[in-house]
Amino acid sequence: MQQQLALQDVTIDFGDGPLLKNVNLAVAPGESVVLIGPSGLGKSVVLKLFAGLLKPTSGKVLVEGKDLHALPAHEQSALQLRMGMLFQKNALFDSLSVGENIAFPMREKTSLDETEIQRQVDFFLEAVGIAYAAALFPDEISGGMQKRLGIARALALRPQIVFYDDPTAGLDPITSRRIIELIQKLREEQNSTIVTVTNDMARAYQLADRIVMVADGELIITGGKAQTLANKDPRVSQFIRGKLDGPLTGRHA
Amino acid sequence: MKDIFVQLEFVTWQSLPVILFCVCFAAVVTIIESSFHMKLVVQNDALVPGFAALLILRELGAVVSALLLTSRVGAGLAAEVGSMKITEQIEALKMLGIDPVRFLVVPRFVACVIGGFLLSLIANLVCLYCAMLVSEAKLSYSSGAFITSMRAFVTFQDLVFACLKGACFGAVIPLVSCYFGFRCKSGAEGVGLATTNSVVVSSVLIIVLDFVLTFLFSHFY
Repeated sequence: MQQQLALQDVTIDFGDGPLLKNVNLAVAPGESVVLIGPSGLGKSVVLKLFAGLLKPTSGKVLVEGKDLHALPAHEQSALQLRMGMLFQKNALFDSLSVGENIAFPMREKTSLDETEIQRQVDFFLEAVGIAYAAALFPDEISGGMQKRLGIARALALRPQIVFYDDPTAGLDPITSRRIIELIQKLREEQNSTIVTVTNDMARAYQLADRIVMVADGELIITGGKAQTLANKDPRVSQFIRGKLDGPLTGRHA
Repeated sequence: MKDIFVQLEFVTWQSLPVILFCVCFAAVVTIIESSFHMKLVVQNDALVPGFAALLILRELGAVVSALLLTSRVGAGLAAEVGSMKITEQIEALKMLGIDPVRFLVVPRFVACVIGGFLLSLIANLVCLYCAMLVSEAKLSYSSGAFITSMRAFVTFQDLVFACLKGACFGAVIPLVSCYFGFRCKSGAEGVGLATTNSVVVSSVLIIVLDFVLTFLFSHFY
């Protein structure tokens, strides 16, 4: 399989035992992979490893076939520009308005003139449905709008690879569904590869080509919706059905 | 470049009122206390203007300005960078291929060095002027007598060294504040701790650096 992203024998340890142990995962171009699993066991860490924000204790992170951490800083930075990320807490620049948050990556990293940047900002604001809030600041808009803004900023440089860290956290079911539909629509328009973290199983099934569960330092690759539902691993079965009894103990919650 | 000017305006112009307010009071206290103690010890306060001017230029102006700058700018910087860290804004910068140190620290460092220099210059001049007014009002020295006495003790070199001290103290503030900001732990407590640590460590370093610089400059007198 052709790989756009890959973890090869990756272990990461923050000092209190490995969080991930010799894990392997490959993501093909244009694929949508969803990471599920109990909180605090490394889903966001997997995203940050792919994005180059965390360095593995051992193993390799490959992006478009290149070992991300073996590259010189400028090449690593160039590869990162081909990726976009919606952070768990949105990571919006609170000193910039909604419009300026989207314009910021273009102002910093492209040679576009202000007219073109403004045109792009208007396009993205329209695409995520918050054009009326362009002049507001992030703390003046709702959680759902902040997510939409985070998505628009992540896509501002039209990245080929997009990471979404819990894009529906804290949102009502209708807004969650709209956000996922927006992500799918933008994925189709941009033909991008996406890796998403979520524990909302309905949204995971809606979005995923493949579902991967992160638990006990392992990546359990379950496949699509049908394969995931039929998966025999008791951890997967317990997690997707939300059972209290099973191998995933309370410490995982 | 635009960021540097924005920061320079924040560091210098917005800090000026509080610094001038405080150094004026420091000047009043210096003159009155000097006079009181000189009269007590040597029964004569004729040397007060010169002595006070020397104290202001060599220590008071630069150190008081820097300590006030630490509490105002340093605390704000640590809280700002710390908040950016815990809300993942620093990581968002990295994802955009922007070096957070170059983007956040460099403009603030340059602004604080230039701002420290300028604030020390202005604070010293205003402090001296205030001391002259007080000595005229309370100690019956004319402006001319104050200046004559001052010129017997201090030289232009003292003012230059005071400004250099200001610049060096200014350099300490963003480095320490950003250091603690970048290492901020999550939550409001983490930001509070980063802010407190940055003010305490900057203040201590400024006092220690003052000793080192005073010792170095003493070789030029």
